[in-house]
Amino acid sequence: MTDIKVITDENAPEVPLVASDAPKRIKVKRRGRVTKWLAIAWLAFVTISAIGANSLPYLKNSCESNDKLCSTAVKGNLRISQLPPTWAFFADSPAKPVVGSPTHLGAMGTDKNGFDLFTRAMLGARNSLIIAGLAITFGLAIGTFLGMVAGYFRGWADTFIENLSNVLLAFPALLLAIFLVTFFNEPDTTGSANTRPLWPIILALVILSIPPLTRLVRANTIAYAQRDFVVAARSVGAKSSRILFKEILPNIVPTLITFALAGLAILIVAEGALAFLGLSVEAPVPTWGAMIAAGSEPLRNGAWWIALMPALVMFLTVLSINLLGDVLAQRFNSREAIG
Amino acid sequence: MRYVLRKLAQTIFVVVVVTFLTSIALRFLPGGNDVVVALRTGPGATPEQTAKVIEELGLDKPLLTQYFSWMKDFVTGDWGTTFRTNQSIAAEVKRAMPVSVYLMIYGQILALGIAVPTAVWSAYKQNSRFDRAATTSAFAMLSMPNFIVAPLLILFFSVNNKWFPYPSIYRSVWDSPIDHFKAFALPTLTIAIPLYAGYMRVLRSDMIGTLQNDFITTARAKGVGTGQMLFKHALRPSMFSLVTSAAVNVGALMGGVVIVEQIFSLNGMGRLTVESVFGREYPTVQYCVVILAIIYIFINLFVDLAYAWIDPRVRASRALG
Repeated sequence: MTDIKVITDENAPEVPLVASDAPKRIKVKRRGRVTKWLAIAWLAFVTISAIGANSLPYLKNSCESNDKLCSTAVKGNLRISQLPPTWAFFADSPAKPVVGSPTHLGAMGTDKNGFDLFTRAMLGARNSLIIAGLAITFGLAIGTFLGMVAGYFRGWADTFIENLSNVLLAFPALLLAIFLVTFFNEPDTTGSANTRPLWPIILALVILSIPPLTRLVRANTIAYAQRDFVVAARSVGAKSSRILFKEILPNIVPTLITFALAGLAILIVAEGALAFLGLSVEAPVPTWGAMIAAGSEPLRNGAWWIALMPALVMFLTVLSINLLGDVLAQRFNSREAIG
Repeated sequence: MRYVLRKLAQTIFVVVVVTFLTSIALRFLPGGNDVVVALRTGPGATPEQTAKVIEELGLDKPLLTQYFSWMKDFVTGDWGTTFRTNQSIAAEVKRAMPVSVYLMIYGQILALGIAVPTAVWSAYKQNSRFDRAATTSAFAMLSMPNFIVAPLLILFFSVNNKWFPYPSIYRSVWDSPIDHFKAFALPTLTIAIPLYAGYMRVLRSDMIGTLQNDFITTARAKGVGTGQMLFKHALRPSMFSLVTSAAVNVGALMGGVVIVEQIFSLNGMGRLTVESVFGREYPTVQYCVVILAIIYIFINLFVDLAYAWIDPRVRASRALG
């Protein structure tokens, strides 16, 4: 505690860069550890809840006594529509309360159709995490391959890949996403309830994530391609594929992990943005972006929880991922590579 | 001069490729011409009607011919009318452009105006309580996409306290300045928050690097005051990344922040583009894309000039090259 006081003291040295270096280290590390575990705990909670969203225990137990009022994501109940969360004693439902039904319900309240928002947020987590996770996995795999080839062989392969990614980058990102998503979604002519497949949006996100990842990996590969151990491997006659996968790849893996985390956070947000515009998977399957979009109309009547609760879940998830990425980047000391 | 010419050739190439790809991609959207016809005539058009509409709009010609005739229209300035409502495309763009320009300018001014002093002070008092508060809040803001910020702002400023209208109604500054600024307040804030966070982090880390340089110590030793040292000596050489990211954001914001525009019911470039894609207004989309591309070119030019201003060595090397 005393350490901190010294730094914030008015009499601190005028040029504090050198003077405050030592106490800062300790402080940052300690703070980082707590937030790191909080972030991991939240992500674990969301992941486990997302996997088991169909049978969330938190809900079942709380409403077993009165089965009629039990709300799940698949079974809405209009009698309990737009109820504020239990803890929000200050909030009132904008809809006329039905006699005999509770005034507050669940950890996050209910939406217009009487769906429990917490359950839906966790079902949404399933979609959002699967889409963003698969997209970053494929994007990273392809980007790593292209970037390593471009950075190691240089020459015409480098030129070709560079031009390809330049064109992709010059293309407005949102338009590209809209094109891809609408192109692969069959126009709905039958008017029946259609659930759009996941893969067009994953493909759109993969394509959007390839160029920046390729660039980053290429820069990292170039840095290692000239190192002595690579030259040594080549001089004893190692094949290019062996050098790429056994010599260079292990060295850029730490950087790749930090890219993966940063990219995951960006893609969750991107998926949310597309869903907000109605371009992601469609209702009845929720995603966070679509839930927030659906909540912006009741927001005007004072039903703030419908938009803000999924927003909170999304914010905490993205924040946790960013925090972990930051912690890892510091540990691997690969900050220059990112910036 | 050669440098400028090469840049120009490069950008024209990119513009042509991007607009051409856009025109191809548009034609391959599901439904194709049927959707255009349906949107124009309503459902249940007879084959004769369909053929007539397609001929009128010139959709029966080969793709390349269509593309070149579009390009001719663009260069001559005769942009034609929209497929569906027969309104002048130029008028549509003219209506959408100011909204995007205002949003971009206000957002940038707000974000930079707060970010620069905060970052400078944070870097100067590194690891102070102020610095930690600033970096932590910026980190949190970066994890808040605008469709999360917007509902929060609406709740606090439009629903709970009716300070700002929601949805925003666009008014020109000249007609009613107060309504104009009221309408733009929340969208601007929504845009400025993530911008601020990005600028603040970039400038702070660059500034910390600059402050470790010898010339800062020299300036100190000469007896230069703190404010002068920070803003006259240290700020300019720390601005490379800031200028780059600010310039990139000008382009991104001019392209329209579709989500913000949609939430606040503002009709900017972003909404125009997206709705034109959904309405299969091929030429309108292409005009929007080409305008964006041209803006990108000017931004790149501006960034190059700014680099020369920040660091005279850039100027020297270019004169030699």
